[in-house]
Amino acid sequence: MVIEWLHPGLIFILGALLIPVLKGKWRQVYLLLLPAAAFIDLILISKGVFGSGPFWQLSFMGYDLIFGRVDRLSMVFAYVFVIASFCMILYALHVKEEWQHVAAFLYVGSTLGVVFAGDLFVLFFFWEIMAWSSLFLIWYRRTKAAYGAGFRYIMVHFFGGICLLGGVVLHLQNTGSIAFESFKWGLGSEYLASYLIFLAFIINAAVPPLHAWLADAYPEATVTGAVFLTAFTTKSAIYVLIRGFPGVEILIWLGAIMAVYGVIFAVLENDIRRLLAYHIISQVGYMVCGVGMGVFGTAAGEMALNGAAAHAFCHILYKALLFMGMGAIIEVTGRSKLTELGGIYKYMPITFWLYMIGAFSISGFPLFNGFVSKTMVVTASAMWHYSIIWLMLEGASIGTFLHTGLKLPWGAWFARDKPVCEAREPPKNMLAAMGITAFLCTLLGVYPKILYNILPYPVDYVPYAPGHVVAMCQLLLFTFVAFWLLRAMLHGTPTITLDTDWFYRIAGKRVIWFCEKPLMAFASFIDRNVMRMAVFFVNPFFPLVVKFVENPLDKAFHVRLPELLNFEKIHDKIKQIKVRELSYNLIYILLAMLLLLLFILFAVVME
Amino acid sequence: MKITMRHLFLMLYASLFVSVLVGILVHIFLHPHAHFWWEELPVFSAIYGFIGCIIIIIGSKALGHHWLQKEEDYYEKH
Repeated sequence: MVIEWLHPGLIFILGALLIPVLKGKWRQVYLLLLPAAAFIDLILISKGVFGSGPFWQLSFMGYDLIFGRVDRLSMVFAYVFVIASFCMILYALHVKEEWQHVAAFLYVGSTLGVVFAGDLFVLFFFWEIMAWSSLFLIWYRRTKAAYGAGFRYIMVHFFGGICLLGGVVLHLQNTGSIAFESFKWGLGSEYLASYLIFLAFIINAAVPPLHAWLADAYPEATVTGAVFLTAFTTKSAIYVLIRGFPGVEILIWLGAIMAVYGVIFAVLENDIRRLLAYHIISQVGYMVCGVGMGVFGTAAGEMALNGAAAHAFCHILYKALLFMGMGAIIEVTGRSKLTELGGIYKYMPITFWLYMIGAFSISGFPLFNGFVSKTMVVTASAMWHYSIIWLMLEGASIGTFLHTGLKLPWGAWFARDKPVCEAREPPKNMLAAMGITAFLCTLLGVYPKILYNILPYPVDYVPYAPGHVVAMCQLLLFTFVAFWLLRAMLHGTPTITLDTDWFYRIAGKRVIWFCEKPLMAFASFIDRNVMRMAVFFVNPFFPLVVKFVENPLDKAFHVRLPELLNFEKIHDKIKQIKVRELSYNLIYILLAMLLLLLFILFAVVME
Repeated sequence: MKITMRHLFLMLYASLFVSVLVGILVHIFLHPHAHFWWEELPVFSAIYGFIGCIIIIIGSKALGHHWLQKEEDYYEKH
């Protein structure tokens, strides 16, 4: 039997294996060829060369695993993931560390695995690889902050993964099926499986109060790794939400709150990439809101789902561009705080203008891609007559332009009369990547039909209606006026902003202290006295025995055990692990995946 | 000709004026479909943009100043 289909994710995952072998120019060419090959694969799939799906179905312990569910929804996301990965790897081309590229490609490949997963087992499998591989993009920054943020990042995602696994197992027990379709939703204990899966999905979508991992970890990642991180985890979560929970009403409110939440926190941020990270949360809010309004079979619902998918598509491009712009500043100046930047426009005008295209796109200026997608979600909320939601989403647009379009470029490139430091344009490959991404943002804005044609449902929407255009222009222009009046208030301050990660950063520390100190003291007090009593009752005439018994037991429980459970020591041990050694873990993951893929190929070929 | 701040501001004032004017004209002649009553107002977006921006800045700053903003080594100290 010939191979009936080629999984685009497999191109990245297997392709990643060769990266460490190649050197110099060859490696650079190879890195660019992989996404190109995946893109050609996607074109072939969409042209129906392989026939119609689902592909790569195989039976595993009595269950049908599906690796290739191909439909319009999965294709939209697959297209943008592959296109974005090309721009991102071009941006990262100068990075010499081969394992960073391996981690990035594993991350892209596993996200494509999630997108094409037709059942919950395969989904879980790729979901976990996604979490693991992305972690290395943070740790490779090799700073103390990156180490800590990465650790918290993976803990949160482990929790999400466990929720997903629990949900899947419960779902399987309830329904006897592992097919990944939309889940039943309602109130009551019989929906526990849905709740758990929902929880896992909204953790990855960074819905408050479960969002802190994003703003905590992304700004600590490597310059090039952060660009990858912006695209895949949150948007694959939007994809699975569209699949699993379309039209779930609570998502409307969560999404609208997210959109505003990100904006409020972005005002307070001093770190340039953390500010952008809060805007990821804000923008993903539009998508989450769209999923919530996506009731099947209604015009407004289909508009909302189309809007969520379209906005994910556009968001990946402009957010990558914004992170590339800010990454370029960090790359050439080594500074990432607004309080340490300013006045460097004259050194890097090209970067500035390319960044501004991203800023205009995210703000939803007409002729840029944010406008053609964001307004779909906002219009859907109007079609449903959700007045408060509409006002919240429009209000978030104001804040988006205020920060990413005004405060951030103003503070980073201007704001001071004299430059604070030397700077220059970033390497050519970074500029080229920004140029291509900026071109795509503008292309989709000017000619939205390209995007509308590939959306899951037929699009009956005209973005450039005069009313829309003029309203958006008014909104953004008058936002600028208010910014100009209050710009003195928007200077960065050397502070950090507390967010919900406070609970596991501070309260977590306190819980450990409580366990180690008062709880252990109390336990040892109880132990001692219980033992005394016991020995007394057994043999009241030999109180000396007490001493005899107590000492070894004391040693065992009160000296050895805390030693074993000495969190500081464990922490120190983990700290001593060098990031270089972490790449060996990547090899293990790669090997495990390779084995599984070989097994799948074997099974497919045997059929 | 060198573009100065003065030119930029003139452009800004012009575009503000044009956006409001076009907004009014669009509402008079094209009657775009409105879902909410405030969409009937031709300059609603301008007012919302201006006031919304001020509220976001002042509201967030107040929230940050009184509660959420801490010194940079907060997590090391606590």
